[in-house]
Amino acid sequence: MAKPKVIVVRVRGILERSGDIDPARLRRAYERGIRALTGAASLDEGLGRLFRPSDRVGLKINTIGGRKISTRPEVALGLAAAFKGTGVPDKSILIWDRTNRELRDAGYALSLGSSGVKIYGTDTDGAGYEDELYAKGNIGSLFASIQSRFATASVSLALLKDHGLAGVTAGMKNYFGAIHNPNKYHDDHCDPFVAEVFAAPPVATKHRLTVLDALLVQYHRGPAYHAQWADRAETLVFGTDPVATDAVGWRMIEALRAAHGLPTLAEEGREPRYLATAERMGLGRGGSDAVEVVEEEA
Amino acid sequence: MNRRRFLRTAAGAGVVLGAGPCPFLEELYAFGPSANLSDVEARYYRKLPDREVECVLCPRNCRLGDKERGYCGVRENRDGRYVTLVYGKACAANVDPIEKKPFFHFRPGTTSFSIASAGCNVNCRFCQNWEISQVRPEQVRHSDLLPEAVVAAALRTGCASIAYTYSEPVVFYEYMYDTAVAARRRGLKSAVVTGGHINREPLEALLEVVDAVKVDLKAFRDGFYREYVRGELKPVLEAIRTIAAGKVWLEIVYLVIPTLNDDPAEIRDMARWVREAAGPDVPVHFSRFQPMYMMKNLPPTPVSTLEKARAVALEEGLRFVYIGNVPGHAAENTVCPGCGRTLIERYVFDIRRLDLKDGRCPYCRTAIPGVWT
Ligand code: SF4
Repeated sequence: MAKPKVIVVRVRGILERSGDIDPARLRRAYERGIRALTGAASLDEGLGRLFRPSDRVGLKINTIGGRKISTRPEVALGLAAAFKGTGVPDKSILIWDRTNRELRDAGYALSLGSSGVKIYGTDTDGAGYEDELYAKGNIGSLFASIQSRFATASVSLALLKDHGLAGVTAGMKNYFGAIHNPNKYHDDHCDPFVAEVFAAPPVATKHRLTVLDALLVQYHRGPAYHAQWADRAETLVFGTDPVATDAVGWRMIEALRAAHGLPTLAEEGREPRYLATAERMGLGRGGSDAVEVVEEEA
Repeated sequence: MNRRRFLRTAAGAGVVLGAGPCPFLEELYAFGPSANLSDVEARYYRKLPDREVECVLCPRNCRLGDKERGYCGVRENRDGRYVTLVYGKACAANVDPIEKKPFFHFRPGTTSFSIASAGCNVNCRFCQNWEISQVRPEQVRHSDLLPEAVVAAALRTGCASIAYTYSEPVVFYEYMYDTAVAARRRGLKSAVVTGGHINREPLEALLEVVDAVKVDLKAFRDGFYREYVRGELKPVLEAIRTIAAGKVWLEIVYLVIPTLNDDPAEIRDMARWVREAAGPDVPVHFSRFQPMYMMKNLPPTPVSTLEKARAVALEEGLRFVYIGNVPGHAAENTVCPGCGRTLIERYVFDIRRLDLKDGRCPYCRTAIPGVWT
């Protein structure tokens, strides 16, 4: 079996001194990442291999951390814009998270119109959660109708962060924002909950791509923002294997921790065990020998 | 109202619970969207460096960074200040018979103004009210009903008490506490229905202002608590001991789930422990399980299993052992342990006959423990 590929794109200088993002560099990073991931000659062709023109694409972002540490609007809108040449119309792309308040606090302007890229939260009128409880294994949850009904294809456009309970929060855990009760799944380092939420059909059958926003990485004391432990890593990580992509994110966090003289997550007893569980459940592969990591500069 | 938008209305909570809400309440209080959550500072938490907090209200002792919520989903760290989001936010408000809680030795035949907020500090796989207990407050409709308004509504509807129930009142502790204080000032009693996951200090403070506590003891094995409740047995037993040592009336409910917590040896251990820790006069209700929420794969508890559990508890010396959720069963009644006569005859939540005189059996004068007036 071919190793899953994970593309790590370093984009030096993408974070301007003001904290703004250089749009040209961002576009280049998407181009590099998607091309390397898919082997396509162009960004359009690469995304075209992952999505059909008839897809409705949900870009699940993470805005719980407010303006300081959320998926940045430029990053999400930049990815939405990258779909331009794929035949997926703007109106079929929805950038979303749990609540409109969190989206606004993170700097997003809501957009609910019938044309253009949509931006709104699950608490929007007419969205909300499914009526039927999804109950399997350790999970008893209602899925956001955006994930279960609107999206035919889904991208986890997640922040890469240290997480006091989970160890690492990245692409898989980002889908906690697609259920009504994520607060119930932080026991035992979120294991096996992250894997079991991901394995639920509304996620597992739709997830096509993980993009980790590692432009600014909270490598310690996350998921809240602490400036002293946030690194301007200026990196985006791309993968179609959710376990492999998050495992690479985890290794980035460990590298940053080591560079700053911090103990490993395992030494702190909070390594993201849910990744091993996810691997056992057949959701992907995470071991360092099992993943082909391609490093790029953009 | 769009069902996808709100998991349940307050009226829906009544439906879940098998009884409708008080009709006048629906007119009086508009149950509306939950955009405006409360921002009242929590009473039991510790501030930590870097704007972190540790909640010390319940044994989970959640430690939270800025903007994070605890396991219960109704408490949030706002820049190092820990707040309850559900103060005065009742997602259910009904007038219920006190027998529905169930309390059998606490003001029988009266009604209790019953309120709840969203949230719970455990996640029982068999929860009958998961649509309000296992959600965040913005996911249910609620009414703005501050403590004084709860008391006024209770008085207006002729209730003898206020019950904090349906979800888990520990997670709306400040709201419950202040309502109980206001209720006592106006001559109303307060009855708490809880799973018993609460730390000692807030529990002791609560016991100063309430009159009765019913604890759902969900099993007598820690493994069950960890797997099916997502909690622990030990703190619940400690809470029962603390309540029993005080002046507040205590009753215990044990939901008997086929094959999971119905082993007679476990029931015997439990009954023995209750007798030693809380005394033989604490009423114990063996309640019938119905499949729901995440536990739909098991059948309802056979009545014979409940009867066996009751027999074991009586053998162990408990004096008031009831069977619940089996309408018309003889073990719904209160029998005098002295002469064996039936003193309180019940049918589901109805009191058909109440034959007590000054808290005693009128036939043999045996004192029947409880709060009768
Ligand atoms: S009350 Fe809620 S926040 Fe506080 S410790 Fe318990 S579960 Fe955690």
